[in-house]
Amino acid sequence: MIVTVTLNPAVDEEYMVPEFHLGGWFRASSVRQLPGGKGINVSVILKQLNYDSVAMGFLAGFNGEYIRDAMRRMRISTNFVHVKGETRTNVYIVDPVGHMETGIAAMGPYISEEALSRFTINYDRMLKRASLVAIGGSLPPGVPQDYYRTLVEKAKTVGVPVFLDAAGPPLFAALELVPTAVRIDHRFISVTLGYPIDSVDKLVERISQIHAQGVGWAITACATRNGLGNIFYTPNGIYVAETDVDQAVSMIGAGDALMAGLIVAHKEGMDTEMTVRFAMACLWEEIAHPGHGIGGIDRVKSLISQVRLEKLD
Amino acid sequence: MVIEELIDRDLTALTEDTSLAEAIEVLSIHRISSAPVVDSDGKVVGILSEKDIVRAALPGYFELLQDPTFIPDLGQFRFRLRRVSREAVKKYMTKKVIAFTENDSDFHVAMILIKNNIKRAPVVQDGTLVGMINRADLLQHLMSEGKNDA
Repeated sequence: MIVTVTLNPAVDEEYMVPEFHLGGWFRASSVRQLPGGKGINVSVILKQLNYDSVAMGFLAGFNGEYIRDAMRRMRISTNFVHVKGETRTNVYIVDPVGHMETGIAAMGPYISEEALSRFTINYDRMLKRASLVAIGGSLPPGVPQDYYRTLVEKAKTVGVPVFLDAAGPPLFAALELVPTAVRIDHRFISVTLGYPIDSVDKLVERISQIHAQGVGWAITACATRNGLGNIFYTPNGIYVAETDVDQAVSMIGAGDALMAGLIVAHKEGMDTEMTVRFAMACLWEEIAHPGHGIGGIDRVKSLISQVRLEKLD
Repeated sequence: MVIEELIDRDLTALTEDTSLAEAIEVLSIHRISSAPVVDSDGKVVGILSEKDIVRAALPGYFELLQDPTFIPDLGQFRFRLRRVSREAVKKYMTKKVIAFTENDSDFHVAMILIKNNIKRAPVVQDGTLVGMINRADLLQHLMSEGKNDA
């Protein structure tokens, strides 16, 4: 069983606003409301790839009820700890004309020691049934910055592979425990490191350092000359993989689709190159339409051969 | 039809050493009337319902009475509830659990839930909790099936 952890889920509200700019007043051409948060998105995409998972984390209030109900309708197993307050809402404004996205993320509810302890007990129990753990996203207020490290350590102790998608101190604390794969949120990478990452070479250099710590797979997004790229530092070399940006409608959930693809490739024992292609095809299929999720495994398969791949020396 | 598609795949559960106070909080915040009790492997070992908690807080002679009208107020109940709230779930849970599997038929499950007056019951696979089946969801399912026939 695959377990996904989203400690700070969100209701993602996506507003399509053509020619959006700051300071203006606009009417959205469409609005979508979706359950969100990295682990939850991974669970949704895994379901669309015919893989079952259990989604864990914290939910609160009306938004929490909405997420739980949405997951239930998708027949995704859940084991959330419900807490007081309100699960956050993240707002995304997508400008399909200017090809620009603006996002505003809220903080999330405060997690008490008791609630965190309850989650830890549930996590320990789930680990006994888990074949892989995918952890992702930010930490809500009240959760210690090194909590991902604790979760990685617990999983590794019982021999369960961990895929981690995070940023900042929670990520770097967990890296010391050497997760199986990490995806570093490119939006925060410069802030986290304290110096600008303004070229693919610098990104490769930094990813190489993470790989050198023992992390088998380290991935981050990058802008390339020809499209949207991701750098994959793998046990068998460094790959830069690209998709076409022309077909991109919304980048929301792109990284989560990539992680879900990586997990499926790992479960199915794909070789390195196929793993990269499959993960990128999932991302490509995700960004080709608004909202979260993919149109199914067949659409992903049709994109695999179109992913442009370069192995760096 | 089997119940696989009707299951609420929420794995919220208590453990035997959870206190009744925490169990009440879980039932209240999750808005559920009962919760399965599982061991460290996720195997169902009992179920704790609101009824079990109320029974724990009522005086022992209560069940011998025809009706509760002689009780003057909730003070005594509140006092006893607070006292038992520190105790562990395992003391008050129902150990003989009626559980189903995903491949049980909707008719079989409906009959057993109605016969035993149960609102929700665990669904297990090799004894491990995989979800809950709710009487209301079964009724809803029967209603929607009927609509297609009409």
